[in-house]
Amino acid sequence: MTPSKGKIAFCFPGQLQDRPILEGNHPLKGDPHLEELLKRASRQTQFNFHNFSFEGEKKNEEEKKDFSLKLQISTYLLSMAHFYRLRATGWVPDIFAEHSMGIYAALAASEAIDFEEGLFITEGIGRLLKKEGELHPGGMASIIGLPLEEIQKICRDLNGFHLFIANYNGSMHFVLSGEEEGIGKAISLALSRKAISASKLPFRTALHSPSLYALREKIIEILQEIKIQPLKVPILNHWTIKPLRREEVKDFLSREIGRPVYWVRCVEKLLQEGFTQFIEVGQEAILTKLIRWIDREAEAFSAGDLLANKGLVSR
Amino acid sequence: MVVPNDQLIEDVKQLIIQRLKLMDMTPEMIETDAPLFGEGLGLDSIDALELVLGLEKEFGVIIPDAEVGKKVFQSVRTIAQYVCESRGAT
Repeated sequence: MTPSKGKIAFCFPGQLQDRPILEGNHPLKGDPHLEELLKRASRQTQFNFHNFSFEGEKKNEEEKKDFSLKLQISTYLLSMAHFYRLRATGWVPDIFAEHSMGIYAALAASEAIDFEEGLFITEGIGRLLKKEGELHPGGMASIIGLPLEEIQKICRDLNGFHLFIANYNGSMHFVLSGEEEGIGKAISLALSRKAISASKLPFRTALHSPSLYALREKIIEILQEIKIQPLKVPILNHWTIKPLRREEVKDFLSREIGRPVYWVRCVEKLLQEGFTQFIEVGQEAILTKLIRWIDREAEAFSAGDLLANKGLVSR
Repeated sequence: MVVPNDQLIEDVKQLIIQRLKLMDMTPEMIETDAPLFGEGLGLDSIDALELVLGLEKEFGVIIPDAEVGKKVFQSVRTIAQYVCESRGAT
């Protein structure tokens, strides 16, 4: 990758779908920043992230119950570790974009909150979601290869199951959220209507659907003691397609798990504004692929790939 | 069973590299019979959609649904075989 004259967007991904594995020559293996973050997270949350993330630990029953919560916190930790590495190697972002729970790391990276506060919010909301999943089991499905009209039709055809579009990820890529049984039926229906792929995601709640809107007050309670600082790097609000204002942050956090993620709209806005480089601040290349789908010419890379190839790192 | 020639195998590998922007890879690095998804090349369902479009654009063949996709996207060789069959060539 050659240095760009255009603007750079750092993109913070949502929750990992499986346990992060940083083995072999992974660039973050032994990274002092990551080691430090893992220690701090293990101290604050009482989970052992060192073992969870990077060693072949076998999960017992108790740990399985907290799996999704640990994935949420791990996603946050990996984004922060990649962010610090990118910053240390000279990458300077002009804006942050975020997908779903990527907002917590984006806020910490923008210094609106500090690292520990981001961890506290991630864990607090994660615990709320875990409880919600136990009380009102829901689910999510990723459907690839059908256009919006077909997805809307599936929601209408399964009207009794309260299905909603949770993520607008691309012109042929959507995530549905809703009642557990309805999610299974939506997957079958999507496949029968020629989807390329339709699969259940590892969530036990109907994330980004109006059914979670009831958690708003509880999220506001979690945020009560936190003072939002001025954002040093703007974060694009995917609802308004404008930078998130400092005074909007708590309201955004309290609502976002009950509203859809408009990722396409976000990327299109950045492309219009002249952003040419998109760096996914995380271990995988999920947003990277979505961005390339929206614009094949966009230079999109994951931080994991950049850091693995040292020749691409320094700017 | 149709047997795709070496050139078609090479073209399929090039298609995978270009569509998925695997810039650090060369055709020689992709094993013809290795699984493309999961343990093999590590592709995912978003990559599958890219390949569906790539095959349509570059080779004029259509993957109509997930069932066909699952069979075709097993390896480079199965993709090349499907291209041959769809073209009616041997």
